[in-house]
Amino acid sequence: SGELYCSLPNPRNVHFESINMKNVLHWSAPEGTGDGVLYKVKYAVYGIGKWIRKPECRNINRTWCDLSSETSDYEEQYYASVKAFLNGTCSDWMETTRFNPLTDTKIDPPMVSVSSTDRSISIILTAPEKWKRSPEEESISLLQVYPGLKYNVSVLNKKTKKRWFFSISNNTLVVPWLEPGTAYCVSAQIHVTTPLLDSAFSKEHCITTLKDK
Amino acid sequence: GACRVSMSMAEIRAGFTAIKADIQSRDPIRTLSILSHPHSLHKLKSSDRCCITHQLFTFYVDKVFKHCRTEDSFVNRKISSIANSFLSARRKLSQCHEQNNCMCGEESREKFKQILANYEGLNVTSAAMKSLGELDILLDWMEKS
Repeated sequence: SGELYCSLPNPRNVHFESINMKNVLHWSAPEGTGDGVLYKVKYAVYGIGKWIRKPECRNINRTWCDLSSETSDYEEQYYASVKAFLNGTCSDWMETTRFNPLTDTKIDPPMVSVSSTDRSISIILTAPEKWKRSPEEESISLLQVYPGLKYNVSVLNKKTKKRWFFSISNNTLVVPWLEPGTAYCVSAQIHVTTPLLDSAFSKEHCITTLKDK
Repeated sequence: GACRVSMSMAEIRAGFTAIKADIQSRDPIRTLSILSHPHSLHKLKSSDRCCITHQLFTFYVDKVFKHCRTEDSFVNRKISSIANSFLSARRKLSQCHEQNNCMCGEESREKFKQILANYEGLNVTSAAMKSLGELDILLDWMEKS
């Protein structure tokens, strides 16, 4: 295309930020350029020659571009690239490193639901879903993507401050032999051994065991 | 046929993750993949998994690791640690192969021929470095079963 000699400084720190395989390309504006910089974005599947332009991210002034749809096949790996334009001049294309959605994504904590009897609490955990294009699209749990996915569960006795940790593979846990009428707080984390991926711990879910009958 | 070979995937993964950015930055060719194009490993029949795994371990031991020396001793140490893991896993798979438990179907022979053709399409050092940079493609596939 008829671009002028590219003397504009380059976009910086071009990289993917990925959570549950929602893969968004981010970058920083070229050094020393104020407002008015526009960008365009392209991406490529590693091993296939073609760079593909992303029309929705053409002549944009924001510094991110959602490429989740284009990078949704996690059996492939990808590159993406950004070019800046200002006052008729442009920068070079600046590329990401090779992006592997399977290993380079971050995972949200699991959803936690808790119920109790007088002497036990029951915990049900739900792994987050992989990003999907629309609500109508079939949901894929990250459990399907990472067969070795486990849960680390923390249970805290609010009265004694005693804490237990459990590591479980299935998504339910019953903690027996508890004290009646006592508040317990539960928090859980997802742990994938290989590739090594750990979510943050969920926020605490507190519940009080029933009083003694 | 089936073979059960124990190897520490987490250890290999950790080793590769530590050098992935370095190794992949030495491979400027975006348009060619050794392992995943034109045919993805993920499309292989499960009955062919054992044989292609054995062939790939042999490929990495004989044609990749020895051509991947760098000027960085940290990277070299990680490479040799991964290579040792592959060597011992390959030995176990070879025993399995000798007991006719790891037979090669037509599809895996074709796939492996394609991998060698991709490899021989580059000079040895570039091909070896690219193959090493694609180790996560192999590990992702192996862990998917």
